[in-house]
Amino acid sequence: MLKIKDLHVNVAGKEILKGLSLEIKAGETHAIMGLNGAGKSTLANTIAGRDDYEITKGSIEFMGKDMLEMEPHERVAAGLFLGFQYPVEIPGVSNLNFLRTALNSVRKQNGQDDMSAADFMKLVREKAKLLGMDPDMLKRFVNVGFSGGEKKRNEMVQMAVLDPKLAVLDETDSGLDIDALKTVAEGINVQRREDTAVLLITHYQRLLDYVQPDKVHVMIDGRIVKSGGKELALELEEKGYADVA
Amino acid sequence: MNDAVTKSYQDQAESLKGSIAGMDDARAQALEEFIAHGFPTARSEDWRYSDLRDLRGKAFAPATHAGEKPDIPEAFGETAARFVFVNGRFSESRSDMGDLWQAASVRPLANHFMANPDRANELVRGRDGVAQLNTALAKDGMVIGIPAGVEIDDPVEIIHIMTNAADRAAHTRHIIELGEGASAHIVERFIGDDGAYWTNSILQARVTEGAKLSHTRLQEEGAAAIHTGKVFVNVGAGGQYHACNLSLGGKIARFEAHVRLMSDESRATVDGVALAATGQSHDTLTDISHTMPHTTSDQIFRTVADSRGKTSFQGKVTVDKDAQKVEADQSFKALVFDRTAEANAKPELEIFADDVKCSHGATVGDLDAKAIFYLTSRGIDPVTARQMLVEAFAASALERIENEPVRDALMARVGDWMAARADKPVPESK
Repeated sequence: MLKIKDLHVNVAGKEILKGLSLEIKAGETHAIMGLNGAGKSTLANTIAGRDDYEITKGSIEFMGKDMLEMEPHERVAAGLFLGFQYPVEIPGVSNLNFLRTALNSVRKQNGQDDMSAADFMKLVREKAKLLGMDPDMLKRFVNVGFSGGEKKRNEMVQMAVLDPKLAVLDETDSGLDIDALKTVAEGINVQRREDTAVLLITHYQRLLDYVQPDKVHVMIDGRIVKSGGKELALELEEKGYADVA
Repeated sequence: MNDAVTKSYQDQAESLKGSIAGMDDARAQALEEFIAHGFPTARSEDWRYSDLRDLRGKAFAPATHAGEKPDIPEAFGETAARFVFVNGRFSESRSDMGDLWQAASVRPLANHFMANPDRANELVRGRDGVAQLNTALAKDGMVIGIPAGVEIDDPVEIIHIMTNAADRAAHTRHIIELGEGASAHIVERFIGDDGAYWTNSILQARVTEGAKLSHTRLQEEGAAAIHTGKVFVNVGAGGQYHACNLSLGGKIARFEAHVRLMSDESRATVDGVALAATGQSHDTLTDISHTMPHTTSDQIFRTVADSRGKTSFQGKVTVDKDAQKVEADQSFKALVFDRTAEANAKPELEIFADDVKCSHGATVGDLDAKAIFYLTSRGIDPVTARQMLVEAFAASALERIENEPVRDALMARVGDWMAARADKPVPESK
């Protein structure tokens, strides 16, 4: 589903990703772990298509297509979802309007008609309930005045509504109390199917207790330095990054 | 100003002598002041961002009858009445008097002074050549008096249409008076063809004790037009004035709101949005005067300038020495889409009382690149993303319009304006 080969990325003139390779197949859940500054968020944002990042070398293939040729919104239509580490507040745009515009933009790009207002409301209410979000928050402006946990929950509602093939979740577990973490984990697990894949980016092992990955990668200084099974996460927690890598 | 221009306006005023009973003296005085002042230049502090070369360089003849029949725009929802002015003249046949005449006194300017010649003294002459010329040359306008206690719920539309009026001007003067506890919503609309005409409009209003006047202006003049629109409002005890101006049209457009809060608990909210496309200049000047204690004003202005577009905001708030416990807020935010777009902000607070709460804020910037990325990362294309953000930006200045169809119509104009920019390449985000 996702093939990243020898990816080099500069941010503001500085090389952050230094030859990263990664392959994720349908049905798999991977976790990338690493300390702050390792380049985890840069990787997530590069996959999503942030235009101020400079890709100097390498390739990303998504669903058999050259992802680097696609605009951010086209990547979403092809099935990508990025859960932001810091979801953005958008005053003046309601969550509902945002979700409906997003969903219908994706449908339009895929040659489908707009979803009817009734079907849309049903879908959104169902997903909000699944993720334990107060329906009143759907009417509020996107992320404005939301707590850290509410913002992350909102990301999960967006993911559930857009139903992506590949979900890249950047530090989705940070800022969550244990109850919220469990709810979010459940939302992620629902998203794990034979035809989908999930990439979790985190620096704690905590989330991985609830969302068990098939593969764990250790990222240091812009590269994946070690890969293994889920036991690698526990080893990291125990011994620290320096010893494992 | 050259002599030929002065002479032309003198002749125009002369030809109006005797046309409206009681107005001759006011005209003569205003003309004298106009000749003394001429049109304002950028040297005048209030006009530093406006370029009135087109007015100084040539005289605009009076707009005459329209020739072909202009299209009358559809109303925004239910209306109490619709008054149509074509090239500055009231067109009764195109207007819809509704039921308003049963509840209120409604008449064209000429008839008003015919019945009360002394009241011509009450015409606001203004402090600059533009306003003075309006007084000297105004031929028509609507005079609406809402009796005490009468509440007119549906909007009253005043529609100004300019057609076949290149190099010509229309000077209209509307007078709105609300009796104690009365309420009304006036919606002024300005449209026109592609001719280089000049609309010079003044609306003066008196909002007496406990009355409430809502006033929405939608300025969609033709692309070559000059628009100067001024509002002078006095608000009495417990009275409220809410204005919202959406400035879209014209080559050079200016909106001024002069509001005097004259008694306890009088309140003004003055809001506006200006969208300047390439080559357009939209100016706003507000002048809110708190003359008495316990008066409140609140202003929200949002402007957007595309490439080589220009918007300016001068917000003046004056609090007199004895006007304690005044609250005055002012917020101005401007978006500029690239380096050639321009936004000017000049808050002016003159506060002579010591126990007041006054605030102002002004920001200028481009759309938030993070917000655009967030929206596009949810599948929304960049053009739609920018449109959503601009609509949200403008909404904060439009949302205090209470009438939903009017508010929705103005919001839709903002969306249309952005959609019209969709064909152009999306500027690089920073």
